[in-house]
Amino acid sequence: MYFAGVDIGSTMTKVVLLDKAGNLLSFIKGPTGPEHRQLANEVMRQALEQASLQIDDISYIVATGYGRLNVPFADRQITELSCHARGVSILFPNARTAIDIGGQDAKCMRIDNGRLVNFVMNDKCAAGTGRFLEVTATTLGIKLEDMGDVSLKATKKIQISNLCTIFAQQEVVALLSRGEKLENILAGLHDALASRVAALARRLGIEPDLVLTGGVAKNIGMVEAVKQNLGCEIFVPEEPLLTGALGAAILAKETHMKAVRAGEALPTKSRRLEKATFFSQEYR
Amino acid sequence: MVVAKQKKTINRLKSMYPLRAKVNETYLKSIEAIQAGKPAVWGMLNFYYGDPILKAMDIEVVYPENYGAIAAAMGVARQYLDRADAEGFPTHLCGYSLTTLGYASRMMKELQGQIPPEAPLGGMPKPLFLMSSAAICDARYKWFQALGRYMDVPVWPLEAPIPGIKEFFIEGYYDRMVKLGVKHLRDFVAFVEGMVGKRMDWDKLDKTADLMIEVNRVWHEVNELRKAKPCPMHSRDFWSAMPAALFLAGDLEDSLRLYQDMYGEVKDRVNNHVGTIPDEKYRLVFAELPPWHSLAFFDKLAERGWDFVIESVGYHPPIPIDLSKVSDPLERITKFSLQFLVGYYEDARKQSVLGGTTAYPYLKYAQEWKCDGALLHPLISCRSASTHLPYVSDMLMEKLKVPSLSIEGDIVDLRLFNPEDALAKAEPFEETMEYYRKMRKQAGFDW
Repeated sequence: MYFAGVDIGSTMTKVVLLDKAGNLLSFIKGPTGPEHRQLANEVMRQALEQASLQIDDISYIVATGYGRLNVPFADRQITELSCHARGVSILFPNARTAIDIGGQDAKCMRIDNGRLVNFVMNDKCAAGTGRFLEVTATTLGIKLEDMGDVSLKATKKIQISNLCTIFAQQEVVALLSRGEKLENILAGLHDALASRVAALARRLGIEPDLVLTGGVAKNIGMVEAVKQNLGCEIFVPEEPLLTGALGAAILAKETHMKAVRAGEALPTKSRRLEKATFFSQEYR
Repeated sequence: MVVAKQKKTINRLKSMYPLRAKVNETYLKSIEAIQAGKPAVWGMLNFYYGDPILKAMDIEVVYPENYGAIAAAMGVARQYLDRADAEGFPTHLCGYSLTTLGYASRMMKELQGQIPPEAPLGGMPKPLFLMSSAAICDARYKWFQALGRYMDVPVWPLEAPIPGIKEFFIEGYYDRMVKLGVKHLRDFVAFVEGMVGKRMDWDKLDKTADLMIEVNRVWHEVNELRKAKPCPMHSRDFWSAMPAALFLAGDLEDSLRLYQDMYGEVKDRVNNHVGTIPDEKYRLVFAELPPWHSLAFFDKLAERGWDFVIESVGYHPPIPIDLSKVSDPLERITKFSLQFLVGYYEDARKQSVLGGTTAYPYLKYAQEWKCDGALLHPLISCRSASTHLPYVSDMLMEKLKVPSLSIEGDIVDLRLFNPEDALAKAEPFEETMEYYRKMRKQAGFDW
């Protein structure tokens, strides 16, 4: 008996496969791109290959994330907030607060007994999200994955506006032309994003343990900046991008086992991994 | 091919439609008045303070604030917003003000005082004067001053100071407020008499004040019925039916009869356990001003079982007060208007909640209307409808364990509201509401 969680985020798509005991069999991450339906198939195929499984071996599949409705083979869709909360609490049983900074949004969640109990999200603005770093990385000519390490060499933190990504980008250009050091600019950028996220978290109320997830949590400079802004210890999973997919897989397992215990047959979708399009009859 | 008409999720009240039609009637009468050489003015929502005086003087009134909402709801606000932008007004100003400043610019600069042909509901004619009000919202003085410059007509500002709870209970404070209010209204009557060239009919004012109070009493009773489960009347019906009580739109005697009809229909629904949506899973309170351009958003939420059972304290009638022994109509009007502003203060003080006019009522609503959650709508372009919302959210959680979902938007500007994003937050918020249902039970609450 195997279970899958598929998390289609705005930037990355993630798949996690678990066995009946909840052991991690495989996981895959890949860029989402513009066509969710095609990529879900491909990423799932890779995850199955890694675990030496066939799609028919999977008893139950939960999809989450922005593209969750575009996973034609998923049996159930659950919001990313619930899946993140579940995934975080499996990895950190004492977690009471989680912050997830993704490519499109920032979410702060309060968790109790593995369940989401309250949340706040940023509103319609890239300035509090991973996109803020993506845009400025391009302007600075630095790889996204190098930003954190370089920023730790900063000798000072330059103040940069966190109200608008485009304004921040213009500020960065002006700072570069003034000859400011790259590491100092990066430290300022991380602080700008972290202060915005910290304000969001404070609005919700922070209770330890606090866990930081999402692509941005892979950036050590950002982790330090969030820590400084919130003044508390932060736990980061080894694979911070996977908590949503992990939570989805756990919820898939729990849903299935609950039905088995109750002697109920759960409806499941076709296990075909063919490329789906908006014109596919079956997936309409 | 015959296309089946989609069934609406919200079961609207039949008695709402004639009340909603009062708004159209108001704009039509205003145009007819100007064509017949009679006075018409533009008024600010003034919470019952100046309206009865204009009504008693047979002056037709239209409300730019209301007109902004209408333009948004009919999907034509954008052109006026763009025009206000072109005039140089910052885009973060009040959406209502920008809509009507754009309208005024089009009317006065482009059409030499003629009503724009594309204007919804026939448009607002050039006024004899403008009546502004500082009640609740500070921006409204400056907005009408700006409108006055386009129209080149006098602007009378109705003063309406709102004390905080602590100041209000200083000995003699209320009496001094009443005295100030009555004196100010006397000055306003003299101003209006000068503008229209006739004397006030005090008997008519007496009758108008009584009718206004009675209309609002019945309207209050209608809303009390909404405490029933399932709720017999949705917020959408409230917003559609409110102008006849809030703005005194249309003939007051007719409005009284229509609100009585509505009371009968709602009471009938309560007696027969008829709800406003098919499956009332969650009862919610809405604060503060709705996204007029996207009211269908509430139908989407109704499909999920979200029933909006109470809303928008600023649009609700005052708690009924017996003013039958107050002989001076100006004093009666002043006390009724003050009742809107300070009517909750005594209860708010007992519960140690500040914000007696705008924050405390939401606690009362959530508790008495048995709400599972609050949908807060902070507005990017409005301080007055936004700044108290974090406090409302904190108080609801602290005192009642009722969670809030905050969705940013705007009353007029569609560009500032993202319904998809808002709907994406609805599903996880249901988990939050479920969780706090259990928490409330554990804490001894009865819902």
